[in-house]
Amino acid sequence: MVNVMKGVLVTCDGAMKQFLLHLDDTLKLGRKFIIQDLDENHLFISADILDILQAKIDDLMDQISFPLAEKGQ
Amino acid sequence: MGPPKKGGYKGEKSKKRKRDEDEAWVYEDDDTNDTGEEAAVPNAAARDAERNDQNIDEDEFGAKDYRSQMMLKPDNASRPLWVAPNGHIFLESFSPVYKHAHDFLIAISEPVCRPEHIHEYKLTAYSLYAAVSVGLQTNDIIEYLKRLSKTSIPDGIIEFIKLCTLSYGKVKLVLKHNKYFVESPHPEVLQKLLKDPVIQECRLRRNVENESEEFITQVQDKKNIPNFGSKPGSSEQPNDGVTSVPEDITNFYDKIDNEEDEEENALETVSFEVNQEKIEIIQKRCIELEHPLLAEYDFRNDTVNPDIKVDLRPSAVLRPYQEKSLRKMFGNGRARSGVIVLPCGAGKSLVGVTACCTVRKRALVLCNSGVSVEQWKQQFKMWSTADDSMICRFTSEAKDKPMGCSILVTTYSMITHTQRRSWEAEQTMKWLQDQEWGIMVLDEVHTIPAKMFRRVLTIVQSHCKLGLTATLLREDDKIADLNFLIGPKLYEANWLELQKRGFIARVQCAEVWCPMTQEFYREYLVCKTSKRLLLYVMNPNKFRATQYLIRYHERRGDKTIVFSDNVFALKHYAIKMNKPYIYGPTSQSERIQILQNFKFNPKVNTIFVSKVADTSFDLPEANVLIQISSHGGSRRQEAQRLGRILRAKKGAIAEEYNAFFYTLVSQDTMEMAYSRKRQRFLVNQGYSYKVITKLSGMEEEQDLMYKTREEQGQLLQQVLAASDIDCEDEKIPGEGVRNVASGTRKVGQMSSMSGADDAVYYEYKKGNNINKHPLFKKFRY
Amino acid sequence: MADNGSSSSSTSAVFTLNKSSNLECKNLHDYLKTRPPNVLEKLYNHPTICLAVYRELPELARQYVIRILFVEQPVPQAVVASWGSQAFSKEHVYVSKVLSELSVWQEATIPGGLLGWILTPTFKKNLKITLLGGGKPWSMSSALDTDNKARDVSFLDSYSLERWECVLHYMVGSQQQEGISADAVRILLHAGLMKRDEEDGSPVITRQGFQFLLLDRHAQVWHFILQYLDTVEQRGLDLVECLTFLFQLSFSTLGKDYSTEGMSQGLLVFLQHLREFGLVYQRKRKAGRFYPTRLAINITSSAANSRSITMLDDDTHKGYIIVETNYRVYAYTDSNLQVALISLFTELMYRFPNLVVGIITRESVRQALRGGITADQIIGYLKQHSHEKMLEEGKDPLPPTVVDQIKLWELERNRLTYQEGVLYSQFLSQADFNVLKEYAQSNGYLIWSHKEKRTLVINKNAHEDIKKFWKRYSKGS
Repeated sequence: MVNVMKGVLVTCDGAMKQFLLHLDDTLKLGRKFIIQDLDENHLFISADILDILQAKIDDLMDQISFPLAEKGQ
Repeated sequence: MGPPKKGGYKGEKSKKRKRDEDEAWVYEDDDTNDTGEEAAVPNAAARDAERNDQNIDEDEFGAKDYRSQMMLKPDNASRPLWVAPNGHIFLESFSPVYKHAHDFLIAISEPVCRPEHIHEYKLTAYSLYAAVSVGLQTNDIIEYLKRLSKTSIPDGIIEFIKLCTLSYGKVKLVLKHNKYFVESPHPEVLQKLLKDPVIQECRLRRNVENESEEFITQVQDKKNIPNFGSKPGSSEQPNDGVTSVPEDITNFYDKIDNEEDEEENALETVSFEVNQEKIEIIQKRCIELEHPLLAEYDFRNDTVNPDIKVDLRPSAVLRPYQEKSLRKMFGNGRARSGVIVLPCGAGKSLVGVTACCTVRKRALVLCNSGVSVEQWKQQFKMWSTADDSMICRFTSEAKDKPMGCSILVTTYSMITHTQRRSWEAEQTMKWLQDQEWGIMVLDEVHTIPAKMFRRVLTIVQSHCKLGLTATLLREDDKIADLNFLIGPKLYEANWLELQKRGFIARVQCAEVWCPMTQEFYREYLVCKTSKRLLLYVMNPNKFRATQYLIRYHERRGDKTIVFSDNVFALKHYAIKMNKPYIYGPTSQSERIQILQNFKFNPKVNTIFVSKVADTSFDLPEANVLIQISSHGGSRRQEAQRLGRILRAKKGAIAEEYNAFFYTLVSQDTMEMAYSRKRQRFLVNQGYSYKVITKLSGMEEEQDLMYKTREEQGQLLQQVLAASDIDCEDEKIPGEGVRNVASGTRKVGQMSSMSGADDAVYYEYKKGNNINKHPLFKKFRY
Repeated sequence: MADNGSSSSSTSAVFTLNKSSNLECKNLHDYLKTRPPNVLEKLYNHPTICLAVYRELPELARQYVIRILFVEQPVPQAVVASWGSQAFSKEHVYVSKVLSELSVWQEATIPGGLLGWILTPTFKKNLKITLLGGGKPWSMSSALDTDNKARDVSFLDSYSLERWECVLHYMVGSQQQEGISADAVRILLHAGLMKRDEEDGSPVITRQGFQFLLLDRHAQVWHFILQYLDTVEQRGLDLVECLTFLFQLSFSTLGKDYSTEGMSQGLLVFLQHLREFGLVYQRKRKAGRFYPTRLAINITSSAANSRSITMLDDDTHKGYIIVETNYRVYAYTDSNLQVALISLFTELMYRFPNLVVGIITRESVRQALRGGITADQIIGYLKQHSHEKMLEEGKDPLPPTVVDQIKLWELERNRLTYQEGVLYSQFLSQADFNVLKEYAQSNGYLIWSHKEKRTLVINKNAHEDIKKFWKRYSKGS
């Protein structure tokens, strides 16, 4: 017997992985989406969540980015 | 991957976000203690050229299209600037006429940013007010701007300049022989003012019978602009036709440059006397009538107030920019009130001392801490002939007897606090209030809330006021108030230029990104917002980076100061690394001991300090500064801290940089955003922050702490067990109420996070009890 | 350990939602070596082409060619290899390959069984002609009578610039220029620089198109012409003839007029196309003479060599962009095209008659990155067009912090990579796991595996194949 599942392999750094686990734990994307936690830098997730996930990551990045320069207004 | 279809290319979303940020921006320096009371400022001050271009169309790429507003001149290449309809001016720093244009723009506008090649300035109501108050005339401003510009000047701008300058700077309030006069070279303006019943009331008539009393007419004598100290040999070469400077520019520059002399040669002025008791009424009324009174002090003709015997020492050599700023102040032989802006470490106190020695009347210096009081005293002794008998300190600690002294140095809070005073202090206050001070020097003037400032002004009678600051952060109302309460900005130095000429250190600024460890980040994501600060400050990777940097610089023989606003982190870092640290509760004797060791003991090369070091004591020289936790997005704190290492370093010219300023931020946390926000002011002064994602050599460094998961886990436990108070920044007595860092990105929270530090002089007794740090309960103020 | 995630992006076969590759730029050699040998043979009948190819050879290769140009027998390969020191054997192997790929030389057996090199006869013959003279005149024929409306170089420059910018303007969708011919549009579509909008069918710029715009002028023209050459045969034109003509143009003299006499019907059509793109100037279609422009001259030489030539006294190439440490961008230009290009990655604020003021923001750069422009392309473009004031101080032409930041913004997008895959787990035995893992690995299907967990992930596309293999394996065991 062998178990076979389709999905998406995510490769990332530790912090990003924690972020994904956090989203999964707290159902921030509406549901669980991590199929398997593979190792430090890899996760296997459902393919259909990808769009929402990417948007969420963009949100995070937006939050911690402050415009570097003023436009002099 | 969309096609570049018209307009739609730039996302709406991005626009909206930017607007939100701009809003957050305005709030940053919001002075929470200063609401309710509206400053009396002329209506014109509220005018804003920014809105002039609201109706201008955007081109297909989203830029405001000014092309139809102006004509390009055929010889535009040899002219240095563009003027936008919204008052923004862009100046080529590499233009052969840069110097001409720069001097002129500094006088009429506010610098927005001054990096290497193209500088941006902005015309504002205040800047134009400042321009006229140093003697520039409406038509000259317009004419010179026209000549310097590569294009024709938009009509709206000419209109704006006229609106802001025609009525400003025409009337002065002069104190002569202890009589107050309203003086003007324009009789018609005085006539207009006198039609106002309120002003009529204020006029003092010596000869009552003569109803239609004439104005007092006077021709001003020719006066010499004072010399400041011994001048270094002037090496400035006149522009002698090597470059293609259009003639109309050079001609006009000479005219503008000599303006003040001409004025003095044959200026006829008219004046009327004012009832001394009604000074404040007339000042207020004149502002309402759009003719704010400029304060000028004809100190040479003041025979009532005795001269003090103080001179600059021959060793006091002024740098060119110091001299220039003083020339602005004493340009017509009188002392103008106003603000001089110089970077930290560029010698502000020498400017202050020189001003006092020039006026040579009783001088009052106000600063923001007891330590500064000591420093000012030292400065006076170093640069001037004043000795201990002439300089007195008025603080709760000092035992000086200030009554009758020539130079009094004190703090803002000492003068304005409303708590009970000792009998002696009460007497001193009385004496102080009775004096007619020749000059009042206001140190770090940007830190004072307008409300407190107004209190100072009602208590102290001074002929002339000189504000000194390093960072006049613009565009908040408080600074606007300063313009009218003290006077216009007289001079603002260019940081990059001072750096290039070696007057301040060449600093490498770096932002070191420390990735959060998985465990810390995991907690960061789930914990309540108040804990987040502690988690990103205590991030093991940040600790390791700090440790590495400290070692690296110790090996180089540098002196390093590490700043942490958070006390929990401060103690943990310092104790772990076995370094001395200073924070609020550290006793005076221990502070002195640590600082002395840092200065003279070759074995003590690194100290940790909390933000008490920002204002409360004189840090010894260091050339490396590491920030591990700082206060939200405060641009001023950032600039102030940079100032700690700006004092020009001797030698080491071969190296590109001679000082280092590191900010350590934990990646993927709000700290990133705060850090960027803090940098903005300095970035606009031309500084650039190098982002370091990996410290080379750190991998090889032996036995840095918190290497193993286990150690990191223990640290995490300590952090999680920390109390809520541990999570906050250190509270300094007298500081305003502060909201704790929060991770959300609402406009209001962001602003309160980062802006409240303007309230340095909030009265301790009134509102702070709730948030008072237990450590400070015993800390007497 | 302090790494901002860049290392994680190194995985191959990155799965992206809209699959499209990057712009691939070929140089002359890349192009020629993909032509069939018979085409090359025909091309080498023209001394011009032999010269062009020879000039573009690596230095060592040129050495070899000259050494054996007059040797009539094959030279043993070992002898050729011995000409250079052992330390440069890598270079030797490389240039040997280049020479073979271009059919400049070919392998020949020397009596005794040794392998040797000999120059391809056609190439040899015609290279000799170009170097030594002789044969029939190989340049285009000059016009017989002088042009009474002769055009000077500056006219030709502004003409070619205007024509070329028409193409670029069309790509960026600027409406301020006249359109381009349907033929040109077809080439843009063919080249993948533009594609038909799915809704209204109008041509819109693609990811490669953006990248194309940021190339330097010479590289743009060369790339465009190569794409054009791909289509000549469909148009009933002779590729060899066109290529030959292009090479002749490449060696022609700027400011000189040439006659169209003797040109075939096909070439005349080709000439009209070149005219549209600004490579040649003709007053009228039937003028009987044409002027090559700067765009055509040296077109076949690589960009690095030609830049110095084309940049010479060429005002239009002057740098015009100033980038400040505070992310401000000042562009001295009134060209809509240049403004359009800068706006690809800059938020524009003000437009003065001769200056555009903008700012590089995270959002503006991300916009560009989403459009398929890379950080390097943005940086490259800014560098290439740096204002002279930026170059003066002998420092980096761009503020290093801005360069770093643009790269960091790109890295930020790549902190996570996604690959569609299939996860296999819960193998009954380690042996089962090992077998499947080895099979997947040897076929390049494996993208992740963990021995202890007996778990592996394979590329999604390989699923069917793996399935079959697994069935076979299961039956067998």
